[in-house]
Amino acid sequence: MSTFTTRTALPRRTFLRGLGCTLALPLLDAMVPALAAEAGTAAKPVRRLGYLFMPMGADMTLWTPRGGDKLDELPFILESLAPVRDCVSIVSNLEIRNAYPGTHATSNASFLSCARAKHTESTDYFLGTTVDQMAAQQIGRETQLPSLELAMDMMQTVGQCDNGYACVYQNNLSWSSPTTPLPAEAHPRIIFETLFGEGGSRAQRQAALRKRSSLLDFVKDDISRLERELGGADRERVGHYLDSVRDVERRIQKAEQSMEENSLPDLDRPTGVPASYAEHARLMFELQLLAMQGDITRVFTFQLARETSNRTYPEAGVSDPHHPLSHHGNDPEKIERMAKINRFHVSLFAEFLQKLRATPEAGGTLLDSSLFLYGSGMGNPNVHDHMNLPIIVAGGAAGGMKGGRHIRCEQPTPLANLHLTLLDKAGVRLDKFQDSTGKVDGLFEPLGI
Amino acid sequence: MKVLTLLCTACFAASALGQDAVRPLVGNHCIECHDAGTAKGKLNLEEVLAEDVAKHSAIWEQVVRRMATRQMPPASRKERPAEAEYEAAVAALAGRLDADAVDHPQPGRTETLRRLNRAEYQNAVRDLLAVDVDAAALLPPDEASHGFDNMSVGTLPPTLLDRYITAAQKISRLAVGAAQRVPGGETIRIKPDITQQERVEGLPFGTRGGAAVPFTFPQDGEYEVQIRLTRDRNDVVEGLHGPHDVLVLLDRAQVKSFTVRPPGDKGHDLVDAHLKFRLPVKAGRRELGVTFLQDSASLLEDKRQPYEARFNFHRHPRTAPALYQVSITGPFSATGPGDTPSRRRIFTAQPHPPQDEMACAQKILAPLLRRAWRRPVTDADVGRLLPLFEDGRKDGGFDAGIESALSAVLVSREFLFRVEPQPADATPGSVYRVGDVALASRLSFFLWSSIPDEELLALAGRGELAQPAVLEAQARRMLADPRARQSLVANFAGQWLHLRNLDGITPDGRLFPDFDDNLRQAMRRETELHVEEILRNDGSVLALLKSDHTFLNERLAKHYGIPHIYGERFRRVALGPETQRGGLLRHASVLMATSYATRTSPVVRGKWILENLIGTPPQPPAPDVPALDESLVSEKLPLRERLAAHRNKAACASCHEFIDPPGFALEHFDAVGRWRSLEAGLPVDASGGLPDGSLFTGADGLEAGMLQRPEIFATAFAEKLLAYALGRAIGPQDAPAVRQIVRRAKAQDFRFSEFVTSLVTSVPFTMRQAL
Repeated sequence: MSTFTTRTALPRRTFLRGLGCTLALPLLDAMVPALAAEAGTAAKPVRRLGYLFMPMGADMTLWTPRGGDKLDELPFILESLAPVRDCVSIVSNLEIRNAYPGTHATSNASFLSCARAKHTESTDYFLGTTVDQMAAQQIGRETQLPSLELAMDMMQTVGQCDNGYACVYQNNLSWSSPTTPLPAEAHPRIIFETLFGEGGSRAQRQAALRKRSSLLDFVKDDISRLERELGGADRERVGHYLDSVRDVERRIQKAEQSMEENSLPDLDRPTGVPASYAEHARLMFELQLLAMQGDITRVFTFQLARETSNRTYPEAGVSDPHHPLSHHGNDPEKIERMAKINRFHVSLFAEFLQKLRATPEAGGTLLDSSLFLYGSGMGNPNVHDHMNLPIIVAGGAAGGMKGGRHIRCEQPTPLANLHLTLLDKAGVRLDKFQDSTGKVDGLFEPLGI
Repeated sequence: MKVLTLLCTACFAASALGQDAVRPLVGNHCIECHDAGTAKGKLNLEEVLAEDVAKHSAIWEQVVRRMATRQMPPASRKERPAEAEYEAAVAALAGRLDADAVDHPQPGRTETLRRLNRAEYQNAVRDLLAVDVDAAALLPPDEASHGFDNMSVGTLPPTLLDRYITAAQKISRLAVGAAQRVPGGETIRIKPDITQQERVEGLPFGTRGGAAVPFTFPQDGEYEVQIRLTRDRNDVVEGLHGPHDVLVLLDRAQVKSFTVRPPGDKGHDLVDAHLKFRLPVKAGRRELGVTFLQDSASLLEDKRQPYEARFNFHRHPRTAPALYQVSITGPFSATGPGDTPSRRRIFTAQPHPPQDEMACAQKILAPLLRRAWRRPVTDADVGRLLPLFEDGRKDGGFDAGIESALSAVLVSREFLFRVEPQPADATPGSVYRVGDVALASRLSFFLWSSIPDEELLALAGRGELAQPAVLEAQARRMLADPRARQSLVANFAGQWLHLRNLDGITPDGRLFPDFDDNLRQAMRRETELHVEEILRNDGSVLALLKSDHTFLNERLAKHYGIPHIYGERFRRVALGPETQRGGLLRHASVLMATSYATRTSPVVRGKWILENLIGTPPQPPAPDVPALDESLVSEKLPLRERLAAHRNKAACASCHEFIDPPGFALEHFDAVGRWRSLEAGLPVDASGGLPDGSLFTGADGLEAGMLQRPEIFATAFAEKLLAYALGRAIGPQDAPAVRQIVRRAKAQDFRFSEFVTSLVTSVPFTMRQAL
């Protein structure tokens, strides 16, 4: 026994009060007797987390599944999820109070932070650390990159963007501290180089690692000689340099080892940005899949388009720009066209899930050990509200994800509750996140105690 | 009578015990607060007064500093020493301390192992391999301490080592022009808050906006250039109201033109999709220009706009399209490494017959290694690179072998680090003269932020460099090199005067709607050119404080309200007093760098002046000093009255009575450095003062007050320069050297070169203490 854990298990009844979402009885980590987790009978943390943001809400009548708790009949927007139905659940009646007064800027900013954005258009902006970054601190420590931030828009705006909010709120999903937005990258080549450097075939990548390794051997020998030349405190410092050399050595060995273990295909560096949105988005999903396969990083955020985006989607048969369509004024034709855009975005996500499920890794598939949150920080874009948000949770067996369900919260429930639930699955133990009031129950299989 | 005694004791103070000259003044003016019981500011003079001054030099240097700047006894005391009394006491004390420093030099100890910082790394690569790289893109930022980023450079964290390896591989490949497996590329993004309504410097007349992008093409071949235009938050290409011509230039010659048109009722997705083409380019550093043809229609429209700034569609929309990014991808169908400056520098020999490849590699690598390691190298040194050469050669031929050996040079400790080991026989605590080889590096990293050139290495090799006359002559030769101006302006002045902070400052958009990056860069440029002029003409550094001219372009001139300056080009402008400009304290760069986003801060400005121009940085507030209770100080009061609350609290007052007054003198300049007569509807009150107790109004008074005792500013300047030159914090043991530098400079009208030549021959620069 390595450590003594003295935490007492709490009775489940303690938590039955005040929780809105009722599918199964809540079963929180604190209820698991302290030693159970170590015995390995309880939940295994998921390996990776992904957050996907779609802008400007959705038409909720064409989004919300009808019928009971099971996802038997998928509504118009979600139809493409049919092949992965068992791996997804829809969660209804979530809201972000801190996004009010309703704006596009806060829809984006609060989605992963659930924090109230300081109303400023200058550089004194202040938000909150986002959940992906909290997860990165926990499950991102072991990998080459703690997290990866992706977007589809090749633009950067400054100054005032929406109702007196600085553009950073509208551009950045991910914040590593309340004052540090993490800019997302949309250029496939730049992302590729961040992940894989030059890439190439397995043999070429192995050769590149060998080159680094022989250069490092040179450094090691070079610095060791210095150790002999210096005395006292200086020698101690050289000792630290050698520690660094050994650390980098380990990284290279890890990369070599992961190359043995992971069946990454030949990696060809993309050169340009595909002209069509769908092609560009598929390439971005492909890069995420490769990053997972190579275990380069375990935390992802991906903004499918920015709030107030005026992109048109000819691939989905919509030639109107998105933002004006979202202010549809309840015109059924406009609603239908907007819903087509929502449906198109979801279909790209569904494709991605299928690919993940088809990609094996040790002990299962990539999807098995991943969890994804897909959704928007806005509910009905026509009125800029931030309640009854369109939210999908997707994931595999490792986290005990119970798919194929529609979870309705009886009362409007903070989105922060869902964030807390997913963080918990990644091993981040928090009692509270922003305005959270508990966790979302029923998403996961009860743990065997 | 007392004065007379003091003056006399001052005459022999240097040889006497010193305290004789000081005791009466200390006894009369200091001891009341600084006795053993009170020990204000934790300074107890009573216990050291009886002993030799030299025994407690750290304490007495503090006293010299406070008395020389007339900060002590404080101006608030009724009875202060007469001016002559002050002078005599300072002279006596300093004389004794200096005499002791001659007998017992204390050079301090620079770190044995100092990593090159990013600027030094970039310059070293340039001077070694004739290849320009952007170190900011290759390496993580350096930490700054004591005001400079060449001090905290002793560590080598794993991430940095990892980046060094990657950088070495990239640079050596670029330098030899090695073939790439797949086309590479770079995407250059223009800062979003740049207004692109005017011609950009370096692009032809008749053009508007865009950018001139320097890019090193790795091989001869075809390259694809793709251009994207700036969009607003609704994905609409900004300012596209009619057709516009986009021009692409390579080394200022036009290679392509396009027309962009408004898309009508279609979306803007494809408006700039056709701005993409391939062109053949010869390897090497070239400048790719992307710009727009100036059209008179939008020029007219432009003149109607209320603001100069044009980048955000809510407040000040663009009236013509702007460049967002340029992507360069390639080479496609590469035809070879071409003939580049870096290849000419590296391949000084070619192997023929091929059998003597190894000998040829040695011939190529030996001089490069000598430059890279800044010392004479042996065959054994070169021999350590040969296994790496052989590795590379086996895989990809002779050039690949050289590339592989070069990457090892670039990660070797003697390239990445400046190593100054002490002589093996030095006893701990003893001081010794720094060797010629180390001196060559000290000189070149100080004046060029780079490696020594052949002349320095040759002098060091012959053991002649340490002679003071040679050192001085070399310093003068190096100052005349443009590299000295470039690096001293960017790295020394840029950090000393906080110009580097400007990029991180954005004034509040509502209060200062006419701010954009063009203005920010113009502010910085004014100060840089001002410093550069002094270096170029070897002028007096006092001209930093007061000047009858400055450097302006149209944007900055408009900001200052100075008429008749047109165009983007900076030029020297003579100033009348009505302009309220000239001199650092009136530069918008300094004024903005010392303000908050919404308002000026006399506290920040005062602290900046004390720290950087007067050399008496205020102590940080002690942990037990309570914060100002904001609720008791009404927001409605003018700033001055709000700050007065500071000085009503004894704990705050002891420091703020020094800090705030110089800042208040600059209140006529707002948070972005514009002149103002009213603040919030009330006339500006610019009455201020200096820590010596002098009182005055406005920047004129502040400048006159500081120039009254120019040695104070010269001392602060010399200390900053010495800290930068040594890469270590300056302590009381350096004060004699600083006084020596200032004395010599003063005799030559404070010429810049005098500071430098006396610095490079000073004790701390030429000696080191053993551990």
